Amino acid sequence: MSRTQTIAVAGNPNCGKTTIFNSLTGTHQHVGNWPGVTVERKEGRYVYHEQTFKVIDLPGTYSLSTYSVEELVARDFIIKDVPDIIVNVVDASNLDRNLFLTTQLIEIGRPMVIALNMMDMAQEKGLQIDTETLGVLLGAPVVPVVGRTGLGIDLLKEKIHRVQTQVSEKARHINIVYHRDIEAQIERISHVLEQGAIALPNARWVAVKLLEKDDHIWEYLVDFTEKESLKIVTAEAIDQIEKIFNDTSRSAISHARYGFVRGATQECVKTTLAEPVDYSRKIDKFLTHRLLGLPIFAFFLWVMFTVTFNVGAYPMDWIDSAVSWMINLLHTILPESMVASLIVDGMISGVGAIAVFLPNIFILFFIIALLEDSGYMARMAFIMDRVMHSLGLHGKAFIPLVMGFGCNVPAIMGTRILESRRDRILTTLINPFMSCSARLPVYILVAGAFFPTHAGTVIFAMYVTGGVAAILSGKLFSKTVLRGMSKPFVLELPPYQKPKFSSLLWHTWERGQVFIRKMGTVILVGSIIVWAFGYFPREVTLSQDYDGQTQKLKTQLTVRQHSIDEAFDASVEMQKQQYYSVLVPFESSKHFKELVGQRDSLLHETQINFQDAVASVGYARQADVMSQKWIGKLGKIIEPIVAPLGFTWREGVALITGFVAKEIVVSTYGVLFGVGADVDAENTGIIASLQQGGMTPLISIGFLVFVLLYTPCLATMAAIRRETGSWGWTTFSVVYSLLLAWLLAFGIYRIGSWLEWLT
Amino acid sequence: MFGRFQNKTRSIPRHQLENAGLRLSDLQPGQKARILEIGGSEMFRIRLMEMGLLIGDVVEMEKLAPLRDPMELIVKGYHLSLRRMDAEKIAIETVAADE
Repeated sequence: MSRTQTIAVAGNPNCGKTTIFNSLTGTHQHVGNWPGVTVERKEGRYVYHEQTFKVIDLPGTYSLSTYSVEELVARDFIIKDVPDIIVNVVDASNLDRNLFLTTQLIEIGRPMVIALNMMDMAQEKGLQIDTETLGVLLGAPVVPVVGRTGLGIDLLKEKIHRVQTQVSEKARHINIVYHRDIEAQIERISHVLEQGAIALPNARWVAVKLLEKDDHIWEYLVDFTEKESLKIVTAEAIDQIEKIFNDTSRSAISHARYGFVRGATQECVKTTLAEPVDYSRKIDKFLTHRLLGLPIFAFFLWVMFTVTFNVGAYPMDWIDSAVSWMINLLHTILPESMVASLIVDGMISGVGAIAVFLPNIFILFFIIALLEDSGYMARMAFIMDRVMHSLGLHGKAFIPLVMGFGCNVPAIMGTRILESRRDRILTTLINPFMSCSARLPVYILVAGAFFPTHAGTVIFAMYVTGGVAAILSGKLFSKTVLRGMSKPFVLELPPYQKPKFSSLLWHTWERGQVFIRKMGTVILVGSIIVWAFGYFPREVTLSQDYDGQTQKLKTQLTVRQHSIDEAFDASVEMQKQQYYSVLVPFESSKHFKELVGQRDSLLHETQINFQDAVASVGYARQADVMSQKWIGKLGKIIEPIVAPLGFTWREGVALITGFVAKEIVVSTYGVLFGVGADVDAENTGIIASLQQGGMTPLISIGFLVFVLLYTPCLATMAAIRRETGSWGWTTFSVVYSLLLAWLLAFGIYRIGSWLEWLT
Repeated sequence: MFGRFQNKTRSIPRHQLENAGLRLSDLQPGQKARILEIGGSEMFRIRLMEMGLLIGDVVEMEKLAPLRDPMELIVKGYHLSLRRMDAEKIAIETVAADE
């Protein structure tokens, strides 16, 4: 068995490249990122005739110029990693455009096999393609395939094998021949290149790239000795070409490539149908209709939202119960120790709190895969482009923003649908302002406490504020830190296709597993840190004698119970003396029963009051303990920072723990105010405590705005880090949102106090 | 961190249209036209070319998006979408609908 051969799969977006990749490798795949950039890198393997092939799925590109990260990644791989074979997937129903990339691949000069995909659609369009002749013209074997059904994949494997073993199909390298005036200049530059004393894989390709003013080509020429003369000759050659063609050299060369492509297709493609049927056009008569288009779009969004969060609610509950069950179980079986607390209260509770979002995330990714594979995603971009354009964004950026209302983590991961890195970063940065569902419990609690009659309005205002913050920040970023480099909007609206269920599941899993991996890393570490802050120092000195207080309450209870009993006995004695009936004994009389009822209700009331009082002492104790743990000390430290907003150290601590996940703000409050961690809006204790804790309706608005705007959670932070690929942008996002949150809360508190609003 | 985007805004040559006549953005739904000249930045022109929109091609204006921008075109049987501000950089001549 010979060494593993590397295959690079290249092709346009929407050409069915991924389907071909999947058919080749089956499930033996690994998804990762290309180093340093957030472009998905898929790698798989298969064995054919005892030969192992490693298959790399290059990003889908229309060309190999260097305008996008994807193009750069694809080109770098071909040049630097030198794959043994390139499989160029070409959409047969769209030959002219797809072959433009092919011409660039031919020039690089690696052995190549062309997979002519979507032959069924080409036939529907009435196209007959002479694959033999096309193969001869392109200098590479052409294999007709239908990726969706797997037709022709075996033949493709056979051809790849043959090209690699050179049994019969000697890949005949051809040159793309340009206009003679361009050829003359290529000749000239090649001549200089030959003198530079380095082994270039393909001097002709380098010469063409130099003529195209491709700056990145110099990266391959680091060791080249004659750089200066090469620069001079290149500049001269470009000048010559631009004079002759009255166009930029780059444009002239691209035109020449198209000339080559047209020559090839004219010879090999025959159209049999006069008017091909365009089903997508008919579907679009409704889906992008000038009046119906928007309502239909809104309806699909609504469905997406409802399904994700309503259907997701069931498995969410199951996971929630499973986690609670596990925590309870471990609490009973594990002896109380630091390790047990770390495992149960730190790791399992922390990761469990995030794990409940898994169903939402997977459902959302499934719907996105459905939208992408069916072709409707491109229509969404078409419909929303006008709105997003005003933010300097691409139409497709709308989808991750809307998803943010559900959960920012999948939404930020969803920015991958955007082609340009700048758009991805911009959308990622403004995404946290879309108020996610985890913030809702905080709104419900606080708005419910201070605005019981207008809670709905306050909550709605939070969503609107978030949207406005996103739009304004987007405008700000696109004018400052993320200026320029917005790609021209040229969007392909690919034909609608019936999605394949297995491929939908695969896409969902591919993206979702990233989140699972994250739970085991970043979120786990974060949970442990927060746990440690709440756990250490272990020994605290209580400021009050809580046990004594409880004991006192118990004594009071006994005294009270005793006095009730005494009073009862006295009353019975008195009534008995006034009792005359001989027919009914006193113990069965109405009067006696009344007295018993009175006594019982008094005892019951006493018992309830006692329990409440004991609980209060317990919570006060917990609050006392918390204030002495690191977390409480941290709260005291940051108190000066949040004091100008009218917040106390409690708000500070709640906000800090909110970094782990926003829902935790509520449970932290519960702990700090001493009403227990299991808090919900019906819990009257916390509402009273909030009001007694010095918070006014005005401060509560500031607090809500702060909760809305600052970094949603650790998982979001991790997603930002992952998608931007940089700690710099992650820090920027955290600092910016904290600043914005602080300034707005400050403004609300100061201006509100001055105007004496809601105080 | 920010440099990555700014250093790319090197001077890209812009092409001023020589044709003074109709622009692609002037087309009404259902009308067909031949592309005469493509202006704008080199990046824009190359991008159009990569997407298969070339001088000499006949395009059909299919429709405008519900919010009146961008526009949808049919070129060689496939559908492309362009913003109207970009379509203004493309000079055309109308052709009969059956061509």
